[in-house]
Amino acid sequence: MAHPSQLGFQDAASPVMEELLHFHDHALMIVFLISTLVLYIIVAMVTTKLTNKFILDSQEIEIIWTLLPAIILILIALPSLRILYLMDEINDPHLTIKAMGHQWYWSYEYTDYEDLGFDSYMIPTQDLTPGQFRLLETDHRMVIPVESPIRVLVSAEDVLHSWAVPSLGVKMDAVPGRLNQTAFITSRPGVFYGQCSEICGANHSFMPIVVEAVPLEHFENWSFIMLQDA
Amino acid sequence: MAEEEDGQAKEFKLLGILDVQRTPCARDAILHGAGGSVAAGVLYFLATSRVKRSFDVGFAGFFLTTLGSWFYCRIHHAKLRVQQRLIQEGIKNKVMYEGTALDPTKNPKSEAPSGPS
Repeated sequence: MAHPSQLGFQDAASPVMEELLHFHDHALMIVFLISTLVLYIIVAMVTTKLTNKFILDSQEIEIIWTLLPAIILILIALPSLRILYLMDEINDPHLTIKAMGHQWYWSYEYTDYEDLGFDSYMIPTQDLTPGQFRLLETDHRMVIPVESPIRVLVSAEDVLHSWAVPSLGVKMDAVPGRLNQTAFITSRPGVFYGQCSEICGANHSFMPIVVEAVPLEHFENWSFIMLQDA
Repeated sequence: MAEEEDGQAKEFKLLGILDVQRTPCARDAILHGAGGSVAAGVLYFLATSRVKRSFDVGFAGFFLTTLGSWFYCRIHHAKLRVQQRLIQEGIKNKVMYEGTALDPTKNPKSEAPSGPS
């Protein structure tokens, strides 16, 4: 999860997010080099004693500053498109979960085998126990088996919402009357936090998402208990 | 926060954006770039004795050496990550399928023909 005054990404918990982190490092290095180049040029321009009021054109520099940006853009675009198509791959999901956005909570439905559904409300600050995270914890978590491809169908019952979990590299708009699909695989067990990412009213900031990835056996026990409680 | 810094390398961001300690290949690329920059600048100066142009050549050397080292290291790193994933899958499969017909390390038995001779 995020820590206070964090600027960078959270640690990746899915292969897609790992790829995104690597692409970000790649793009950032290119940005760093361009920034260094611009800084150097500024210093050179400020300190030069050379002035020529009669320069009209220069073929060499124009070729350089046309070709170099084109090459750099290609070097950024190729890995970017690779990840874009990677994210669109359909990986035969083991489980499909419907995430429905409401004002102001999420509800999850596991309807592959039995009819399991529950609401997920944020735990108010005054009800938190020591060790829990303010504005991030929910009463019921979306539990999934680890290392299994999961498909999430996202929609909304009232206004626009967005289902986002940064450490899994997932964000999908919840649009009323529309079913959006996203898929992910968690690489490791753990608890991953996200928050609603589309303004949806007064409590937009208070409808978090908590995904808990557990071994399959634990997932089966959990779903059995949830069905019994329903 | 102090425990994080002890456990991991303390972050050091060039120009406030590039964390050379935590980004794979960044530190090596910058160091190679610095070396290439010095080498290119000094060689050009020795050849031409032009100071300002030597700095320009040095900077170009830094840019190109850093970029080249970065790409070379990242491609190699990406190949290693793919291998690591394959090895992890292989270890997981071995543990799961050990002793069964799906064991990838099991030598296929040469089957003797059965039936009436």
